[in-house]
Amino acid sequence: MQNRSISLIAGATLLFVLPPLWAQNYVAPRAADGHADLSGIWEALNTANWDLEDHSPQAGPMWQTGAIGAEPAGQSVVEDGVIPYLPAALEEKKINFANRRTNDPEAKCYMPGIPRANYMPYPFQIVQSPRGVLFVYEYGSANRFVNMGKPVKPVSDTWMGTNNGHWEGDTLVVDATGFNGLAWFDRAGDFASDKLHVVERFTRTDREHLQYEAAMEDPSVFSRPWKISMPLYRRVERNAQLLEFKCVEFAEELLYGQYRKK
Amino acid sequence: MLPEHRLVRIVVLCVIVAGTAFAQANQPSGNWTPPKTAWGDPDLQGVWTSDDSFGVPFERPRKYGNRKFLTDDEYAARAKENELISTSIQAGVTPQAGYWLQHDGVDYQPYPSNWSEYARRTSRQTSLIVDPEDGQLPPLTPQAMLLRAGSIVASRRKPHPESWEDINMYGRCITRGVLGSMLPVMYSNGTDILQSPGLVVIRYEMIHEARVIPIDPPNKPHPHLPAGLRTYMGDPRGHWESNSLVVETTNFIGGRLGVGTNGDGVSYSEDLRLVERFTRTSDRSIQYEVTVFDPKTFTASWTVAFPITQEPGYQIFEYACHEGNYSMSNILSGARAEEKVQSVVK
Repeated sequence: MQNRSISLIAGATLLFVLPPLWAQNYVAPRAADGHADLSGIWEALNTANWDLEDHSPQAGPMWQTGAIGAEPAGQSVVEDGVIPYLPAALEEKKINFANRRTNDPEAKCYMPGIPRANYMPYPFQIVQSPRGVLFVYEYGSANRFVNMGKPVKPVSDTWMGTNNGHWEGDTLVVDATGFNGLAWFDRAGDFASDKLHVVERFTRTDREHLQYEAAMEDPSVFSRPWKISMPLYRRVERNAQLLEFKCVEFAEELLYGQYRKK
Repeated sequence: MLPEHRLVRIVVLCVIVAGTAFAQANQPSGNWTPPKTAWGDPDLQGVWTSDDSFGVPFERPRKYGNRKFLTDDEYAARAKENELISTSIQAGVTPQAGYWLQHDGVDYQPYPSNWSEYARRTSRQTSLIVDPEDGQLPPLTPQAMLLRAGSIVASRRKPHPESWEDINMYGRCITRGVLGSMLPVMYSNGTDILQSPGLVVIRYEMIHEARVIPIDPPNKPHPHLPAGLRTYMGDPRGHWESNSLVVETTNFIGGRLGVGTNGDGVSYSEDLRLVERFTRTSDRSIQYEVTVFDPKTFTASWTVAFPITQEPGYQIFEYACHEGNYSMSNILSGARAEEKVQSVVK
């Protein structure tokens, strides 16, 4: 019995210490500064932007668009399946869901925040420069600069956060704080407060994929830290380039329609 | 209060310092070598601002004729005004100069001065337009003249905005366009330039736009997007000519944005083609130049040029324009409330 627990512990330790399977035999090409090259145009290929947790197919918030606006089924990208909300926060999430047609910041064309920006159904480009790493998102002309130098403290609350990055081997680790608490995680109303702390990890697993992880911590909303993970896919089209999705024009009737002259 | 003669001395000193700084910013000294990136491209990276050209007229006032630079006396007067503006802003009082003087007596409050940037080094330019010779926009084509007159007449018919569509693109927080993003205004004139092999990214502080510019070998540009795909910021292609980054941008949406500050002014057409040049001239200065080709709108091409410079301590902050656009709801709801009162009163 004792032997068995020892071997279990040894096994668990081994699992913990060993790098994940995908990291074992791929060495990413180098960027100009010698670090792993993560640059390129990437996009998630899942339904996390609809709902981070497991979700069955269902009608979307707009029956007028028929099946076009309906929600496809999708599996949870949350480790352990469920976001560990505190009871009051779970009630707030349910209210968000009920009001998602008008209250989801995506409907209003507001900046997506972190981590949501990385799994919206739009491509984004990673630019690795000697000054830092810039994430340029097609959605809403959003972007965020990741400072790779001496970490800086947030000086004001923002949608996209204050982002400090560093390398752990070939993994880009981004520590993001200084959020304004207004962004949602998805169209299902999942949310956090301005105390949100996100630690993201970007690892290139082969030519066409990045493994993306984000660990969330916010004691005012969640009972414990939690994590999402998913692959990001390279846009391999020969003519792939980031285009423009300035969505303000598509949200003005929703936001200001009540003030239009009748 | 400072005795008057001491104040004069300070101003004179500031003028001299500003003048020296300007000369340094614009005339590369003989032994200065432009920096290169690790992969051998000219290095334009950093946070730059157009603050130093704030207050320089877009079109040249007629009194200067074909003269591109101020005389020493004119320069001293502008430096004095800049000094007044900068000391007032730093002291938290309203400057009796420039924008604030223009808004004196107008029936709405001008911005408090703590919103405003000011020129750290006084420019000698008489106008931002450097070509044609007279510093004026070339005459409009008859078609563009008609469109321009039409839009002015239409706006006069509406005393209050009927919807957001009667507010300009900047007021709606959509964009200021490529030209409007670079021209100096009252605040948020920051331009962040980043490079990586094969790419230059220009990130504007206001409305947080990033232009990702692919760099092609000289004389081998890869083709622009097809004509059916158009965007506000257009489709840029870059290459290096000696130490200059040259960016050619096409595929613009026409008829919605203008060529002036903040995207106001004469509307350009979908045939707009911009050729920008970024040339590093010192450790803290890039000469920016943009030539505007739009034969549907202008009878000739024209060029704007001014330096963008570094300011110690300048940081780019997140500019959440649309997310915080309370003025849109306030303007429109105010207009509806006023109409309601008018309908009762008459």
